[in-house]
Amino acid sequence: MEDFEILVAKLANDAVTVSPAPHPYLLALKLITAAAIYLVLSLAISGLRPDLAQALQQPWFVAEIIALLLTFIVTSFSAALLAFPDLYQKRGLAFAPLWMFAMFLLVMLFAWHADSPPAPLPAHSYQCTICITLLAMLPAMWTFYTLRKYASTHYHWAGSIVLISAFSVGALWLRLHEVNDSITHVIEWHYLPMFAAGILGLWLGKIILRW
Amino acid sequence: MEKNAGLEVLMRQSLEGDKRAYTELLRETARLIRPFLAKRLSFESEVEDVLQEVLISIHKARHTYDGNRPYKPWAFAIAKFRLQDNLRMHYADQLRHAEDFSEQENNLHMDVTESAFNYESISRVVHQLPEKPAAILRLMHQEGYTAKEVAEKLGMTESAVKVAAHRAYKILRKKLEQ
Repeated sequence: MEDFEILVAKLANDAVTVSPAPHPYLLALKLITAAAIYLVLSLAISGLRPDLAQALQQPWFVAEIIALLLTFIVTSFSAALLAFPDLYQKRGLAFAPLWMFAMFLLVMLFAWHADSPPAPLPAHSYQCTICITLLAMLPAMWTFYTLRKYASTHYHWAGSIVLISAFSVGALWLRLHEVNDSITHVIEWHYLPMFAAGILGLWLGKIILRW
Repeated sequence: MEKNAGLEVLMRQSLEGDKRAYTELLRETARLIRPFLAKRLSFESEVEDVLQEVLISIHKARHTYDGNRPYKPWAFAIAKFRLQDNLRMHYADQLRHAEDFSEQENNLHMDVTESAFNYESISRVVHQLPEKPAAILRLMHQEGYTAKEVAEKLGMTESAVKVAAHRAYKILRKKLEQ
């Protein structure tokens, strides 16, 4: 009890004016804006795929891009909420990426069925995974750095969401840059590694976001 | 309701650097969280240790509270997090120090029918244990209840019963070996 009183006195003595953290929606918008600028710059440097106008005529390509964009937006909001110990008391939205994941799987399933006869596989394979990973590194570092300033009590989940969010930026960039219509290749070398990164994030989150 | 609203006000004042409000807030928070921890941990010293960790965490994370949402869920989220962290570390520690039975096999005495310990000597030592651990051991080993049933009977969580039983075995072993 004596120790308790000493601790309370010590903490109270350290109490200086503290500016509260921004609202998580504002934080999410900052993350989205930074990643969007990065994506636009990357596309400006690397160039858009020459057949983009034609690709946008294909409904499953459009659905895939929308699903990726939504994944990026929903995971950004989720990451911002997960930075707060109580998830800013918006638990439903913090765990919304689970719904997004289910929707993404459905889109992929339908796109796969629609790919008949299957588009020819490109000559390359793992190079796509490497490109996405390299492009995702900066948004991942930036988001982890931002989240470390707060106090996540769900660091495993937060780590996973951060990596999926960053990899969705990389995947979006490659889909808008690379001329490739093979959904098999895209699932195998773009999206499976993205979700593998999400699993890796469970471990990484524990290391980086522990406080 | 009035008390809860008071906590939000106290936290807002604390964020503005009001030391007196902060002292009061920490005391009120401890008053709220102590029973929560006591229900989940078996020893008072542990409750006090985790409570202090919770208060330090609240201090570190106070910038994540803006005064626009209820204070209690925020504080309890941190308390739950620190409690889980503490239990996780406790179990990891137990695993690290757990002896591998296969390594001990060669050192075991062959005579398994004669033992220095009998039912009476164990029962005597169980009676010397603090009330709660003794009750847990009695219920589990004399009356044959499962950890889940004991938890329901004593108003504890199943994991708290297992932790308490584990600690009681250690004390029991130490006392029997003396």
